[in-house]
Amino acid sequence: MRAERDERAHVRGAQRGSASDLEALFRTHWPRAFRAAYLVTHDAGAAEDIAQESFLAAIRALDRFDRRRPFGPWLHRIVVNRAIDWTRARHLRGEVELLDSSASSDPPDASGGETLAALARLSPEHRAVVVMRYVLEFTPGEIAEALDVPRGTVNSRLRRGLDALGDAL
Amino acid sequence: MRRELEQIDVPGEHDARERTWSVVQSAFDEREPTPQASHWPRVAAVAIALSAVLAAALSPPGRAVLDEIREVVGVERAQPALFSLPAPGQLLVASDAGVWVVQEDGSKRLLGPYREASWSPFGRYVVAARQNELAALEPDGDVRWTLARPGVRSPRWTGTEADTRIAYVDRTGLRVVAGDGSDDRLLAAGVRGPIAWRPGARFLLAYATPRAVRVVDSETGRTLWQVTRPVGPVDLEWSSDGSLLLVLATRHIRLYGVRGYIFEKTSPKTAPYVAGARPRSGQIAAALSHAGQSKAYIFSGRTLFNGTGVFQELLWSPGGRWVLVTWPTADQWVFVDAERRDQIRAVSNISEQFRSRSFPQVQGWCCAP
Repeated sequence: MRAERDERAHVRGAQRGSASDLEALFRTHWPRAFRAAYLVTHDAGAAEDIAQESFLAAIRALDRFDRRRPFGPWLHRIVVNRAIDWTRARHLRGEVELLDSSASSDPPDASGGETLAALARLSPEHRAVVVMRYVLEFTPGEIAEALDVPRGTVNSRLRRGLDALGDAL
Repeated sequence: MRRELEQIDVPGEHDARERTWSVVQSAFDEREPTPQASHWPRVAAVAIALSAVLAAALSPPGRAVLDEIREVVGVERAQPALFSLPAPGQLLVASDAGVWVVQEDGSKRLLGPYREASWSPFGRYVVAARQNELAALEPDGDVRWTLARPGVRSPRWTGTEADTRIAYVDRTGLRVVAGDGSDDRLLAAGVRGPIAWRPGARFLLAYATPRAVRVVDSETGRTLWQVTRPVGPVDLEWSSDGSLLLVLATRHIRLYGVRGYIFEKTSPKTAPYVAGARPRSGQIAAALSHAGQSKAYIFSGRTLFNGTGVFQELLWSPGGRWVLVTWPTADQWVFVDAERRDQIRAVSNISEQFRSRSFPQVQGWCCAP
């Protein structure tokens, strides 16, 4: 409850132009926004751009934001939808990366590498549902609303995603 | 599962966070909080204004009033002539008379009967195009070299102090030539543009066809990425740091990151029709039009200038402080201080000053000599 009150106060402050309140919101929500984007896209450069653009979009819409709603889910919804769009677009284009884009590859031996590899084998839609449920802690109903799909679809994607990850791990 | 996902290392998280915070902070500083006013008075005012305009348009006296309104479009306290530029640098202007160089003190020199031109990267030379000739000139008009090619247009110069390239279009397609006029070659057959060099030391070039936008390494011809959807682009603009490519089309814009993915697109209602990259930053100024009014703004949302009709170009001063809004509807140039929006300098009678029946095009605002 205290955290929710603090967040509402930060949103109100940011709407009035307080940079310190904006920073509090940013520091609170950046880690999960960036992690969620990375787990869906598997590209650190894209995750940075997506998280950054999502914060910028949030700033642009700040004056219209309803303070009774929690800020985090609103932001994370933007992040995940952009991450899904990006992943689909990359797949469609068979993108060739610029040689000087340094922050785009995954370290093969990073901690959690097996989980990451297993996650990579899922479709972006399945990855997004798993990430929203277990990283962003959305309920299935909230995921359905955020992705604009029926709740049954969310449940089946979650089940299939977890089955595939369980098999792989 | 939660624990497994939280244990995954995300590369570069700290640096990414600090970079993003810096961008977010500056976007926040530039934002304009929206006044929380009731919508009804505004709706009523718009309705009343529309009724008045319609009523006026339907009667001869009304049309006379509208003509008068047209005459008073523009910044009221504009200077009658360009006495000076508000910031160091030189302008390159194309009018019916040819291409002009305008110095900081307002003095002008006509380089010759060229149609288009572009500054070299450090402003020491100009590349200019006329019907069947590409020419490299010094800003005082001395010709360094020329190249005869059919139907030359859209010359663009890029590079470093050590090495430069000029891209241009002729009847064969998109061509590239070295800054000294040597090694002219066809890069992409049949391409008509628009084209835009990516800022930086590598010679990476974005160009558009009616059905695609491509970014290629002009040295090897290798395509780095492309978007093959029919976007019908009318202009391409890189941000000064080379991190963003803005594709302006008739009814929308798309903003691409360096690897070619979209992270901003707009609907027809909110699509800007002209844009300009701010030096030394990732910012872009853009203008959009609605109900006969144009608004120039920084892409993150801050308004720079509003006016009736259309704006033709948005050019940043080399230092990145002033934006030149060229305004054919008012026959004016309006210099807006992007750091202090109450600072505006307007100049009238632009067409006459450049001996032009049509409104002149500003093709570059380059570095101080």
